[in-house]
Amino acid sequence: MTVLDALQQTLAAEHAALYTYGVLGARTSQAATTELYDVLTAGYRRHRARRDRLRLLVVEAGGEPVAAAAAYGLDGRPVRPAQLQAAALELEATGVATMLALVARSTGTVREWAMAEATWSASWQLELGGEAQTWPGAPELG
Amino acid sequence: MPGRPLSRRTAVGSALATPLVLAACDIDPPPRDDASAASPPPPEDAELVATVVAALVRAEGVLAATAAAPGLAARLEPLVAAHAAHRELLAGAVADTELPGASPARVPDAPDRALAAVRRSEQRLLRQLREACVAAASGDLARVLASVAASTAQHSAALGSGTAA
Repeated sequence: MTVLDALQQTLAAEHAALYTYGVLGARTSQAATTELYDVLTAGYRRHRARRDRLRLLVVEAGGEPVAAAAAYGLDGRPVRPAQLQAAALELEATGVATMLALVARSTGTVREWAMAEATWSASWQLELGGEAQTWPGAPELG
Repeated sequence: MPGRPLSRRTAVGSALATPLVLAACDIDPPPRDDASAASPPPPEDAELVATVVAALVRAEGVLAATAAAPGLAARLEPLVAAHAAHRELLAGAVADTELPGASPARVPDAPDRALAAVRRSEQRLLRQLREACVAAASGDLARVLASVAASTAQHSAALGSGTAA
């Protein structure tokens, strides 16, 4: 797999993550659950920036960035605040694994950026009720 | 998109010890000098791994010294356990290399200041992990180091910025 392939796969995953974050945010009441709303909004912005960066990286690598699908399926139908938070937590756990895969398949500044994003997604899980792990994104090592 | 599943045994070990396994993956193996094939040099990343193990040993020394401060042992226990697992996995990949032993660290007696020393120590470890991750020739090793960095960042965030109380 080339770096371009890896970037495209990561971008495709990021399209799905951004869509899901948007749905979760739309189902969250800013008035009733301000803290969760703020955490989801900040997460959405981070992932939007991540997607934009991935698009640029794909272009720099000589590719045409993969487009987002019209919609993505969500497991179940999270509506309650606890369910929304849990769904976002799962999103970030997947996000760490996604960025670690890019770390393995890239070098230099792309790898450095992917590692920084993996670290962010790992740390952000604590804002979403998650706990620190020994091998975030790579549980098979434990 | 999950990462390729790698067992604990193969993740670092194959990356360092068996280039043929790497060649079968989608990551280019590090270049080898055929002339020295009869007496293979230490794998390209072995020194790097040893450096990271030394950094973990240093950080663990600070944790051990800090856990003696009143009320901090339980709070630091998850981080202590995580770093022990990190070190064990990485040290196992360079079993033939001489690795440093723990050297006693000095930390302040006051819990708040001791905790601040841990935070500084973990930030230093994080920087070392980032440098090693970028420098690693093996992509699989880089992935392992990035996971260690992510874990370190998580535990640091869990320690929080509050006081020891």
